[in-house]
Amino acid sequence: MIEEIGFRDRRLIPIWEKVRRGQRLTFTDGMTLYATDDLISLGQMAHAAQQAKSGDAVYFAVNQKIEHTNVCVLSCSFCDFAAKKGEPDAYELTTEEILAKLSPDVHEVHITGGMPPDWPWERYLDIVRSIRNALPQADVKAFTAVEIDFFRKKFKMSLEEVLRALKEAGLKTMPGGGAEIFSERVRRLIFNQKIGARAWCEVHATAHRMGIPTNATMLYGHIETLEERLVHLVKLREAQDRTGGFLTFIPLAFQPGTTGIKPPDRFTSAVDDLKTIAVSRLMLDNFPHIKAYWVMLTEEVASVALNFGADDIDGTVGGEKIAHDAGATTPMALAKDRIIAIIKEAGKIPVERDVYYNALRIHSHEVVGKIPYLNSIPFYARFTKHRFKILPVAPRRMGLLSRQGSIDAGPFSLMDYFAQEENLELMDWCIATRDQVKSVMLFSKEGWRDLEGRVIGITDDTATSVHLLRVLLAKKYGVHSRFQRLHAGVNDWSAYSAVLLIGDEALRRNKEGLPGFELVFDLAREWYQWQKLPFVFAVWVARRSLDGAAKEQLREILTRSLESCYDDFVPVAGPHGRQIGLTDPEIQEYLAGFNYRLGDRERKAMEIFRALVEDLSPVNRSLEEGR
Amino acid sequence: MHLSDLTRKIRAGERIGREEGLFLMQNAELLQLASLANDIRFRKNPAHRVTFVIDTNPNYTNVCNVDCIFCAFYRHPGAPGAYTHTVEDMLRRFREAADRGVTTILLQGGVNPELPLEYYLELVRRTVAELPGVHPHFFSTSEILGMAEVSGRSTVEVLEALWKAGLRTIPGGGAEILSDGVKRKISSKKGTSADWLRVMREAHRIGFASTATMMYGHIEKDEEIIEHLDVIRDLQDEEHGFTAFIPWSFKPGNTPLEKVIPRYATPTRYLQMIALSRIYLDNFPHIQASWFSEGKKTGQIALHFGADDFGGTLLEENVHAAANFVNRSNTEECIQLIHESGFAAAQRTTLYEILRVVEPAEAVA
Repeated sequence: MIEEIGFRDRRLIPIWEKVRRGQRLTFTDGMTLYATDDLISLGQMAHAAQQAKSGDAVYFAVNQKIEHTNVCVLSCSFCDFAAKKGEPDAYELTTEEILAKLSPDVHEVHITGGMPPDWPWERYLDIVRSIRNALPQADVKAFTAVEIDFFRKKFKMSLEEVLRALKEAGLKTMPGGGAEIFSERVRRLIFNQKIGARAWCEVHATAHRMGIPTNATMLYGHIETLEERLVHLVKLREAQDRTGGFLTFIPLAFQPGTTGIKPPDRFTSAVDDLKTIAVSRLMLDNFPHIKAYWVMLTEEVASVALNFGADDIDGTVGGEKIAHDAGATTPMALAKDRIIAIIKEAGKIPVERDVYYNALRIHSHEVVGKIPYLNSIPFYARFTKHRFKILPVAPRRMGLLSRQGSIDAGPFSLMDYFAQEENLELMDWCIATRDQVKSVMLFSKEGWRDLEGRVIGITDDTATSVHLLRVLLAKKYGVHSRFQRLHAGVNDWSAYSAVLLIGDEALRRNKEGLPGFELVFDLAREWYQWQKLPFVFAVWVARRSLDGAAKEQLREILTRSLESCYDDFVPVAGPHGRQIGLTDPEIQEYLAGFNYRLGDRERKAMEIFRALVEDLSPVNRSLEEGR
Repeated sequence: MHLSDLTRKIRAGERIGREEGLFLMQNAELLQLASLANDIRFRKNPAHRVTFVIDTNPNYTNVCNVDCIFCAFYRHPGAPGAYTHTVEDMLRRFREAADRGVTTILLQGGVNPELPLEYYLELVRRTVAELPGVHPHFFSTSEILGMAEVSGRSTVEVLEALWKAGLRTIPGGGAEILSDGVKRKISSKKGTSADWLRVMREAHRIGFASTATMMYGHIEKDEEIIEHLDVIRDLQDEEHGFTAFIPWSFKPGNTPLEKVIPRYATPTRYLQMIALSRIYLDNFPHIQASWFSEGKKTGQIALHFGADDFGGTLLEENVHAAANFVNRSNTEECIQLIHESGFAAAQRTTLYEILRVVEPAEAVA
């Protein structure tokens, strides 16, 4: 629930109205935000925008940075890291040396480095492949667009060929470095050796199309103007509109060092850093995350930024060298317990993530899960954070976290309720459909009966829909298909015969269509036509061990939340719905199609579904478990 | 209790009580606190400026018999590294500082049982006589209690003697957390909470002005922080002698407490303390962001959380330095840090009279 803000700068009020309605901000709005002296109100606006996206979560990774070499063919004036071959401080790590540096507990290995003149292509692939083989629990995030561009030129390959080879070697995501600032003026003056906005965007768009999520950065605090910063943000927002492949945005505070661009002691001010985080959160309405990268910002500013719109604090970062060579004064690594303490003291939930931002573990209690889709918004209209912290997490992840005992209540996917029934108490609410749903959709190249033996791509998010699909295929149509889980974020689904999508992504694709997949099946409608019953996708549960007062409070909040939108869902769900491209009537029609009360018909439907699933052969393990 | 009711009450300018303070501390979001604190800050000090003082913080001795377990600075009498400077030595240092533009000398030391009262009086008398441009801001309550013990006089008599010698303000250190549950554990011999409050009350009655401090982030509970704020607010209602409140976080480096509390509190906690104190201490004219103790960037941010003063330029500082927390600055940098935060910088005296205002040359992003 968005609270009132005590604005000191009244110019912010019309912008706040837009944020509340889920409307997109303009370039001029961005300039007004930067110009304000009312830092706290700006922060509150950004914090509210962040909470709508990621609730009380702050993501961090147990990660490590590998800089495989500092030998570089470029000579960028702002870089203190690069060396020329043969210089005394030049180094080039072998694959064995890299493996020896890695600690076994990391979940993300971040690789970037110089661009040496004489490394063969196979050497890069070997690094990625060897890390994947040596550390199966770790994922590789590697190579900025600048390096990818270097590879394609040096090895005379297409972008697609470079990225496909890296992906096959085990690369999962790409970092966002090398964007600098999208301004030809600045590029000519200080980044003239870098690839520029167009090439950077081309590399990232291609990666997204191929199912490689990436990050984006902006280097600020050198010679750029505020206008140029906003041009940068608007360009990134447009790029994200086209592909949806960016995971997090990272504003990088310029480290002057001995680069000669600024005096060595002229770091960005704390106020500029916090404004930049907040403005980024407000402008980049289509980016899931905003990162306060503590290595550049200092631990001081990064920890405060968690209340100014950032929901990502990078991670432990063992062994970062580039920023430190440029005079960054932060320690080389932060201990995991210090990161957890910083996040907790900011009033947030420390969420240990993997490379795709899946929650692996959470370090907090009294956490209420939230399905981050439009159809769950009505439950959260009256939550205040005094008692419960809110963690938005996809249905299947909520089930996995609950198995660790980390979620105290939430709308659990029906299959997770069945699996963990003995620890859970059913509450009076559910997410059930009447006849159709519009957000659990099978996009297919074939009709139902032609899916026999075919491979269906399954969204990483689903826990129950995939079983509904199995039931429909086997029991309604007598067809047996194979399933393969997609990873979180953008995917390349062209190889599948059909793709199962759920939630906001399914809603959006239902409206826009998924190119190449001409048939679209609504699984709830399929179920209804067959069983003449609603379908229950999720049920509200509380952990049995949660104390009685907390449960009572939860019931009260949920009752009040649903009451607040009985007649009209738009005031509560409008901002979320508009951000995913729906009109107000579409939002109202979609939500009015759900039944949120767990009644007799819903209970009956649950039991029929349970029996049908139990009658099926067990699914392969990759569907049940996920990293 | 509802947060929205409490918010309304604070916005209306009403005072909040202990339970309300605790509720606010534990339930309000960080920026909600900041927003409320800013309301009060700009009501009290409407000018969009932040004050600072050009000062230095030397020490005349590190000999001390109090044994506070949070301190890395002190040495026992006769221990290696123990020092006590003569009055002559100190005057020489003061003179050097004055030549560099210092207007306030914040002088504190250990509680050295071998120094006679006359030593302290002479320090004051000679500073006033020889350095008319310098304001002596000498001796915390712990030292005043020590002087009383050494001289066999009451603290009132000691304070009167210091007043007569020319001292007009005293620093607010030694308060730590004014809750005997805490004070007994961390600084048993430095006097009780009641002692600190008594000496301050006596000083204010004589006419002294002082600051009040709080050192948090060790073993205290939230309730004890509120207790601390509450007792100094009560005293301020009675005597109106406090100019500013200065919270800082415990720095565990090289102290006996380091094993129990290995890390200092986060910047978030500091900002919460700044904002909460601005809200709770409705009768204090100023809240000081002690940027030298928390880091420059945290100090800059604190100026948006209710603090209207940036403390001193601290040409010399030894106590935090002894805990490996070094963060010195000079006047030019101090002004620049204030400007970058979006405020005009105003040089002040110890008693918060404005000497000059330096406007930012251009708006800072």
